[in-house]
Amino acid sequence: MIEKLRSYGIVGVFGLLFVVLAISSPSFLSWQNAANILDQSSILFIMATVLTLCIIAGIFDLSVAATATASAIMTVNAINAFGMVIGIIVGLGFGGVLGLLNGLGIVGTNVNSFIGTLATSFAFRGLGLILCSGGLVSITNKDTAVAMRSAFEGKFLGIKGAVYIALIFSAIVGIFLSRTIWGRNVYAVGGNPQAAYLAGIRTNRILISCYVLSGIGAGIAGVIYVGRYGSGATNAYSDTIAFTAIAAPVVGGVSVFGGSGAIWRGILGILTFALIGNGLNLLGVDTTYQLTALGLLIFAAVAADQVFRRSRG
Amino acid sequence: MNSSTALVHVHELTKTFGATRAVRSVSLSFTEGEIIGLVGENGAGKSTLAKMIAGVYTADSGRIEFAGSEVSFRSPFEALRAGVAMMAQEIMLVPDATVIENVFLGSTPRRGIAPNKSKMRSDFKELLELTKFELDPKAVVSRLRLADQQKVEILRSLSRNAKLIIMDEPSASLTADEVARLHATIRELARRGVTILLISHFLEEVLELTTTTIVMRDGEVVKAGPTKDETIDSLVSGMVGRSLETRYFDNDSAATQQVRFSVEGLTNSALHDISFEIHQGEILGLAGLIGAGRTEIARAIFGADALDSGTVTLEGKKLSVTSPRDAIKQGIYMIPENRKEEGLILEASISENMMLSTLKRYRKAGSLSTRKLGKRAVELAGEVDLRYSKITQSALSLSGGNQQKILFGRAVEVAPKVLIVDEPTRGVDIAAKRAIHETLLNLAKSGMSILFISSEIEEVLGVCDRVLVIHQGKVQVQFTAPFNQKQVVAAFFGQTSGVKHD
Repeated sequence: MIEKLRSYGIVGVFGLLFVVLAISSPSFLSWQNAANILDQSSILFIMATVLTLCIIAGIFDLSVAATATASAIMTVNAINAFGMVIGIIVGLGFGGVLGLLNGLGIVGTNVNSFIGTLATSFAFRGLGLILCSGGLVSITNKDTAVAMRSAFEGKFLGIKGAVYIALIFSAIVGIFLSRTIWGRNVYAVGGNPQAAYLAGIRTNRILISCYVLSGIGAGIAGVIYVGRYGSGATNAYSDTIAFTAIAAPVVGGVSVFGGSGAIWRGILGILTFALIGNGLNLLGVDTTYQLTALGLLIFAAVAADQVFRRSRG
Repeated sequence: MNSSTALVHVHELTKTFGATRAVRSVSLSFTEGEIIGLVGENGAGKSTLAKMIAGVYTADSGRIEFAGSEVSFRSPFEALRAGVAMMAQEIMLVPDATVIENVFLGSTPRRGIAPNKSKMRSDFKELLELTKFELDPKAVVSRLRLADQQKVEILRSLSRNAKLIIMDEPSASLTADEVARLHATIRELARRGVTILLISHFLEEVLELTTTTIVMRDGEVVKAGPTKDETIDSLVSGMVGRSLETRYFDNDSAATQQVRFSVEGLTNSALHDISFEIHQGEILGLAGLIGAGRTEIARAIFGADALDSGTVTLEGKKLSVTSPRDAIKQGIYMIPENRKEEGLILEASISENMMLSTLKRYRKAGSLSTRKLGKRAVELAGEVDLRYSKITQSALSLSGGNQQKILFGRAVEVAPKVLIVDEPTRGVDIAAKRAIHETLLNLAKSGMSILFISSEIEEVLGVCDRVLVIHQGKVQVQFTAPFNQKQVVAAFFGQTSGVKHD
């Protein structure tokens, strides 16, 4: 019973929120509003996807925002040097490389992932600073900037390109996680690393692959930023966005103890946050209350996780 | 196809953990299709030896030859790839995954990058046909009872198509019927040419099932030969080896005739109807195999685990203990099994650790008097023979033996009527061990009633006035000093024939 509540309670909360907002605010159900919510959430979808993956594997990656920021700057530099297509590939690859550094460093030394990625997030922000020599880099070629903008900000069926990219990325990660041997091994490593190791799984490789995917996700976020603004800046993504992305899967019902959950739960968490923000705005509720409500919701989710774990013994 | 091709050669394998030489220069060889029994007391080195062969541990020195070539597995992955599968003693499953996922964990049949589910199902069916086990492949493992979890472990070790399968206590929680099916499976595998290394505390099982038996003691192989030449008696003799003097200190028992403490009918999920009494000044030992229920008895008395039924009586008064705090208030204290996890605050000073339960006594105008605290700590350190340079140094900076002495200092400070001591000398050096034994005897002399738990049979027999052997959550038999070590060890394995019950 507690388990069911823990698993699907958030779906109920989300549905209830949806219905209440639909009834009380006529503009909520408009296509325009839905598109707005999705547009604002695209970056968070990507980050919540990789953090859901990490949490299932039993690790955290606090460095996603810093990695995304450094990737954005790298992308601009590479576009200016080699053109748009190679620039995008370099930007994504750079995110993946930073993820690999996280993985090798943290798995190799057996450092706690929370603290380890906290440390590397400082380092990666510093790296971004070095790459743009101090503030902001812009795409120098006007046409390329326009092309980037139309690719990521252009609308199809009223929704921006970035949203499609984010959802496709989430879907791919979700399918890999649930359908492949690699994915099942991620669950095993998160659920009981010792058992997975003794069963002959190369647990280090699994963990490193999660850090790399996390870095690639951050790289995508970096590229999207460049598409949106035609530039990369040291303040592209704040760490708050990483914290939000960690909270999302937890609210969505992913256990912080690892080994269980699914990508859609991270997405649901982000949508719940978006509904709270958007809906309360439409209803004219003070932002102060929004933050408090958000905080209480996250706390309730973690508490439910703990209670469920205890009830199972 | 019971050929006599040698499958495994082990040459002078050695493994050391800290100060303990777990396995000392062991050489063995196994042939194809052989069933080998590996027996010995707790800590004899059986599991360590097996884990080195299975790539879980790396040997400090020595060589392993497998299927004709020298190997040095750095991980279970490499061992499995070569054909060595091991089922560990501790159940190691992924709790949220299903039975079938756990069985094929690490060797999932593939179709491209995806698991081949139909092959998994058909392989699983074959495994069930081979073993005659009943298991729902879709059940989530965390909801299974222990015996079913053990079956999942067994099936996994069978699913690897390994040439050598190592099983560490596979039958520990199975029913008699399930054990029979396991034995039939092991025989069938051996018939197909698979070599089975069986570590077991069930000596009848070893005698009945195996072709070769290896006896280990203190990290060494004391004998290895055809099982048909062995009896339970000969195996126990091998495990026990040399006999020590029964008491370290000449006949200075402090036990009086007065019963101080008694428990009756203690029962919970791990214990069945445990009853005993301890006299004033007496040291009562609880001996038995790891997992027999000794620590569970201690935890139940101390209020750390709940009881379904049973009473605890101290000085004629029935106690109601529901938490360690209750127990301490009523005069029962426990020095727990893991000094680092459950006993000490490693970063804190010696004096604070000693006075952790009694800091209230050292208040002066609302704040702690470090001077008073330090003075008392120095006294206590003297009583337990603690070796330190400054009383304010952290517990972390001391050796294991001296850390343990801090806990004894705390026990002296708390001055309980009943003291429970669980594995106080594990991993400590000989000098510290002697000092701890002496402290125990001194505490008994001062009138304390002591319940002493240890996996080291020599020290239990050397320190205690009486010993209860615990077997599968029950009191198997009671012995009174002077002890016959062989009889006591035989009782560990449920063998009590020829022992008088007193």
